[in-house]
Amino acid sequence: MDLLNLAWKNLWRSRRRTLITLAALSFSLMLIQAFHNLSYGVYASMIDSGVRAGSGHLVVYHQGYLESRDEKLSFNPHNLVEEIGQINGVEAVLPRLYLPGLAQSSRESRGILLTGVVPAAERKINPFLRSLSDDQWLTSLNGREAILGSRLMKELQLKLGNKFVVTMQHRSGELVSEMFRVHGVIKTGIKSVDKSLLMVGRNRAAAMVGSPDNIHELAIILEDQKFDRLVFPQLQELLKTHSDLEGLTWEKAMPNLYNAIRLDYASQKFIFVIMLLIVTIGVINTLLMSVMERFREFGIILAVGASTARLRMLVFLEALLLGLVSMVIGSCLGSLATWYLQAVGIDMRNFISETLEFGGVVFDPILRAGWDISWMAKISVYLLLLSLLAAVYPSIKAGRISPAAAIRHH
Amino acid sequence: MALIELKSVTKIYPLGSQEVVAVDDFSLSIEAGEFSVLAGPSGSGKTTLLNLIGCLDQPTRGEIWLDGREVGHAKQKTLFELRLRKIGFIFQAYNLIPVLTAAENAEFTLMLQRVGKKQRRERVLRLFSLLGLDGLEHRKPSDLSGGQQQRVAIARAMASEPAVILADEPTASLDSHASEELLALMQRLNQEQGATFIFSSHDPLVISHAKRVVRLQDGHLESDQ
Amino acid sequence: MLYQLALRNIWRNRRRTLLTLSAMIISSALLILALGIFSGMLRDMLASATEQYYGHLVISAKGYQDDRDMFRHFSMDKSIENVLKQDEITGYSQRLRSFGLLSHQQNSSPGEILGILPSQEQTVTGLQDSLIDGHYLTADDSNGAVLGSGLAQRLNVVPGDQLVFVTQAADGSIGNDLLLVRGIFSTGDIGYDNTLVLVPLAWLQQLLVLPGQIHEIAVKTDQPLNAAALAEQYRVNLPDALEILDWGEMLPQMREVVASYAVSRMIIVTILYLATGLGILNTFFMAVMERTRELGVLMALGMRPGQIRTMIMLETAIMGSLGLLCGAVVGIALSLYMALVGVDLSGTLTPITYAGGTILPRLHAVIEPANILIPSVCLLIVSLLAGFLPANRAAKMQPVVAIRDAI
Repeated sequence: MDLLNLAWKNLWRSRRRTLITLAALSFSLMLIQAFHNLSYGVYASMIDSGVRAGSGHLVVYHQGYLESRDEKLSFNPHNLVEEIGQINGVEAVLPRLYLPGLAQSSRESRGILLTGVVPAAERKINPFLRSLSDDQWLTSLNGREAILGSRLMKELQLKLGNKFVVTMQHRSGELVSEMFRVHGVIKTGIKSVDKSLLMVGRNRAAAMVGSPDNIHELAIILEDQKFDRLVFPQLQELLKTHSDLEGLTWEKAMPNLYNAIRLDYASQKFIFVIMLLIVTIGVINTLLMSVMERFREFGIILAVGASTARLRMLVFLEALLLGLVSMVIGSCLGSLATWYLQAVGIDMRNFISETLEFGGVVFDPILRAGWDISWMAKISVYLLLLSLLAAVYPSIKAGRISPAAAIRHH
Repeated sequence: MALIELKSVTKIYPLGSQEVVAVDDFSLSIEAGEFSVLAGPSGSGKTTLLNLIGCLDQPTRGEIWLDGREVGHAKQKTLFELRLRKIGFIFQAYNLIPVLTAAENAEFTLMLQRVGKKQRRERVLRLFSLLGLDGLEHRKPSDLSGGQQQRVAIARAMASEPAVILADEPTASLDSHASEELLALMQRLNQEQGATFIFSSHDPLVISHAKRVVRLQDGHLESDQ
Repeated sequence: MLYQLALRNIWRNRRRTLLTLSAMIISSALLILALGIFSGMLRDMLASATEQYYGHLVISAKGYQDDRDMFRHFSMDKSIENVLKQDEITGYSQRLRSFGLLSHQQNSSPGEILGILPSQEQTVTGLQDSLIDGHYLTADDSNGAVLGSGLAQRLNVVPGDQLVFVTQAADGSIGNDLLLVRGIFSTGDIGYDNTLVLVPLAWLQQLLVLPGQIHEIAVKTDQPLNAAALAEQYRVNLPDALEILDWGEMLPQMREVVASYAVSRMIIVTILYLATGLGILNTFFMAVMERTRELGVLMALGMRPGQIRTMIMLETAIMGSLGLLCGAVVGIALSLYMALVGVDLSGTLTPITYAGGTILPRLHAVIEPANILIPSVCLLIVSLLAGFLPANRAAKMQPVVAIRDAI
């Protein structure tokens, strides 16, 4: 089309100006895409380690347990573990018990959260257990071996193999005590976990409070986080026959993690918005300059019979071309940056030597980007729309030119 | 010794991959107080010659002497100094600074020479009344007619009392009446103040006012009357 | 005159100048606001850890903070009292700590019990301001308890109810005694709300069989960010068996987050101003290029390249100063609004744990000089840099070429 061709040529008449504008647009797009993808990757890894160490991508609780954490709200899973395990996309189903109690060594006592697990299933999933060797891990559902958080072990002044007593309330209201032996120790980097974690076999824990078949939590780990939309409805379907149970997604079950991500992303978005505002002003400036400096030329175009609509169109086409070109260049650069951030990453250990907890999850110290292609496309289109928006005022200016005045103008 | 001496000056411009000889082995001598014109068709080398005398440009070969000093091969820094102290320019398109008032434009070179504010203003006002610009001191160039703008440009060129005033086609943008007026004015300044003027022009009106006409053709001297 | 010339050149193209200025003002004002809010979050996080629990400094027996060994206790003496008389110290609290099981009827829960003197504790932690039910401990209370909302809910108690606390005493016996719930606090930090109980110091000393003994003295100062230096200064005057730790040593994660904030702030400022800088660069280039002929004339009249450069740099400096002035004013106004009014997000966000502290669900700005100075100074530098390229280009022009080329 002739007008498009004219617009393209006009852009390149002032090469430096066009190049700087393109640079500002593409550079901003690159930064926004790269930073979003970096966060996307970091959030994904946070969610992954969060759900694996925590309550899973999806989770089943007794109604009301999530809010009150009342250990009396336990339930008998019957054959839910097997049924859920058969849903496509489910990697593991982990039944767990959580019982608050007191651990006592010969010198000290500390509040703990006794966690009853199925050792074989838990081992494969929980990232905190990776550091344990096989002979340190629990072997039976019913043994007296216990895994302790590192800080708890230190405060109780226990060593591997030492015995200690756990006291808690039986279902009947009586206080009951049982002896356990330190079998392994884990350090998560999350202070509240390290000072209260006590992991034992599920049946041993359940027997202590007198409800041998009951659990508090069914954590469901998916093969991929994306499957939650497929699996969740099927889970809800299964739970229809258990009116006392509720199925939840991780966003609901782990509000700390979910909100940490939301807050972090919100502050990032704020910066994105400022950046887009600034580049939009830059585009308005460029287009306005190019309109003002071609005042006379526009007058001549009008004088030879072109309509003002055509002039306005010309300005919009120039904005469109600016937007399109920077969309392409910016996305290429953004992809390149994402590729680098994924392959190499940013090693936070250079800045922060401690393990860092955020939203109840320990950060992987090497931040790595992930690909969020659909978002990248979306933000490119936004950029294009913004540059078109930036053309509104300059095009109105161009439309107001009167040919006689323009030709006289020098 | 003459005020201006050009000795076998040659100026060659690169033009793409070619070279253009704008001035070829040209010699000329101009005395103080002259009122001369370099005449010739466009492309004959007038403007190049004027630029060379005005220290805006330097010759490829040959020597240029200005006020007893060889300037053809002087350093850039010296050239700026020479332009500021010895040369006054008048351009075809006036080239006043649009953000400055008429008086400020005329004062500009004095400002660069760090002449005091009061002294500057006095000298410029004297020039303005001589040039018939009374009352226009505070106008912006865009509010002046072509003839008035060119007279402000003359005031600017004369304000620092340079050794020579170079005028490149000063009447080209003016109508014949304004041109006539302007030339009469410059002639008077030449006679009364002893200012040296060198024009470049192909306007017969200008040529008729000149005491000396140097005709150029393709970078060569054609005649000198 | 150069200055005047620069000023007039700026106003010559008013529309362009205003657009460029608006980009500068928007970027610096919003940046100042954003940094103020980030600082506010950081401040909340630090306060949640120090002003609700640890204090800025803690004096305890050597090694106590590492393993909280019940037997690492000490008693107050003259030399400690002298240290606590320093001007920077705004409050201190003697504490004895114990971990045990709390029960009420059929419910039990582990808890952390702090034996305190109410009048002292109030000068260090702000728990008395977070009460949602009942009242705080009084000086003559013999067996009262103030506990966190999560714990109260789990135990199903309200003020007036009885609690049983069981733990191991220092003599090896099992200590066991009754407490009366006086008040319930809610800080927003689950760590405290679910486990913490305040009881009278004398009550706990008797239960643990540690008469006259304490585990730590929590200290509040008026210079939280200078706590490490204060600790260093006080250390020499303390008995050898004791140590003094600042919050950074107790919460190394948080110390590093606070320290790395300076880096992340620079990253945000740099990125944003790169985008702004390109916009300014564009405008200044345009402003120079369209004046090519005029600049050539100025040079022909004898203006030196240095003067041309100065003139254009002056133009950018004026623009930069104007932009930073307006930006700072608008930014401070926005931050002030956010500091005084703020935005409550508790409807959409829960409190978030970060590096051992808690970020409260609110937008609340803190005015810190660095948050205003850094964006302002960087804006000026960016505009000078953006002015330098075109200024340099203008200074390098050949007058003949400049006059001829730009018709």
